[in-house]
Amino acid sequence: MPGVKRHHDGAEKPKNTDAATSPFIGMFEVFRSELDEHHDRRERIIKASRDITAASKKIIFALQRVRTLNKAVPPKIAAEVLEKTTTMSTQFMAIVPDLVGINAWRYQRQISGGIQEYMEAISFQHYLQHQKLTTLEEASKLLPEGVNLTGDDYILGIFDLVGELMRFGITTMATTGSLPGSKEVEGSEEKRDLLMDLRLLRTSFEALDTTSCGGTGLGKDVEKKMEVMKTCVEKVETAVYGMIIRGRERPKGWVPDLADDRAPVESY
Amino acid sequence: MASSSAMVDQRIFEQLQIKIDEDAQVRDQIRVITQTLERQGRNAQSVLSRAHSTPAANLQPVLEAAETAIKEEIESITKLAATTAGSPYYKYNGLWSRDVQNVVFSILLCGWLGGMSLQGTPEVGRLLTIEEVGQILNVPVNLKDQDAFHITIEEYLQSLITLIEELARLAINSVTLGDYQRPLQISQFVKDLHAGFQILNLKNDSLRRRSDSIKYNVKKIEDIVYDLSLRNLITRPGATTS
Repeated sequence: MPGVKRHHDGAEKPKNTDAATSPFIGMFEVFRSELDEHHDRRERIIKASRDITAASKKIIFALQRVRTLNKAVPPKIAAEVLEKTTTMSTQFMAIVPDLVGINAWRYQRQISGGIQEYMEAISFQHYLQHQKLTTLEEASKLLPEGVNLTGDDYILGIFDLVGELMRFGITTMATTGSLPGSKEVEGSEEKRDLLMDLRLLRTSFEALDTTSCGGTGLGKDVEKKMEVMKTCVEKVETAVYGMIIRGRERPKGWVPDLADDRAPVESY
Repeated sequence: MASSSAMVDQRIFEQLQIKIDEDAQVRDQIRVITQTLERQGRNAQSVLSRAHSTPAANLQPVLEAAETAIKEEIESITKLAATTAGSPYYKYNGLWSRDVQNVVFSILLCGWLGGMSLQGTPEVGRLLTIEEVGQILNVPVNLKDQDAFHITIEEYLQSLITLIEELARLAINSVTLGDYQRPLQISQFVKDLHAGFQILNLKNDSLRRRSDSIKYNVKKIEDIVYDLSLRNLITRPGATTS
């Protein structure tokens, strides 16, 4: 027989009012399942975002081995890029159900990192092939349906593109002795070279007024990325300067060392 | 696409600038409302604060004043819902979440004290559910399949934690007012809520950090009950003999 708890004087004790009997348990159980769902979704998205970032970085690495502009990517590299792109789109597809409707913005912060890196990769590829900046619409089309490309993520991805273009430019100059896109290589009058493109990008970024964003989201990141972007452009400018002033004397394959001043100027 | 030979199609940046400016405009509109809400929230809470120095029997005028203050807040919420109707809910909800939590808290406290009666049957010590709060605010709650303004579960839970903190203070002040029964009622209520919070699987977020404080409030209230029962100042409702 289940015992009845009594006070020492024999009076029955009031019913034990613990967790099991709280009148609010039913309500909290609903909250629990809702919150669990939310946390699971959130974690899936964070994980996908990391995987997408990693795959994008690999694409960028592969593309950094390209030495030409305005041409199709060499087949070996293209195959590698395609493989990563396919993995990435499955990763995107996996979280599309988690980003439906109202949840698209709910997990924006979690997915944003991956999307920015992805943006960087596809815009780099686009530039190598067409020597143009991919537009927001073009880039959104490359994303699986249901994944939202925000203006902010687009801008921040393009900021990072400048860094990739800088690496591409300097490595190409070092290995081929000329700036990608310059007349020397292409032999055409109207060609723009990489530096002209970078400068135009820089001007466009500088003209962008983000003061209204304040310390939220875009405003916070832009300030930092703007500085990095400017440094990148300046590095290419310095490298081009070095190439022009000293380049004629150095053998092919010589790597420009910016701190190096032993090469005398011709007029000496 | 072939029309422009420059690397950057200037329309790209023009459109981005338009997006940024539109975004700023929405933020500004929201900020105007949250500033009003902030002021109204302070007002409602200062009215409700009078409950700490008013015996339960004389609470009616305080509740009426609080309901009036809350009504003003509800108007602002309606305005907020209308203003943000065209934007994705989660894009901006960080801008107003704190103020909404304050409104919900005022409603919860007022409801607990016996106000905010929906069907005209005031009841002290009552917990308004998230659905009832939504009904009072005239907005949906916990929306999942529709992107519109609503009260989230997280916001409701945050307000519950604030309610618990406030009730811990009320328990002390009730004793000062000579009301020895109310701490008992608060103790049971807060314990029941605590039991509810304990079944949640919280991650390391702000809700988790704040909910960690509930146990201290439970203890604070238990200490009051202990002090009272030690001095034989309360009659236990379950005990047939005293």
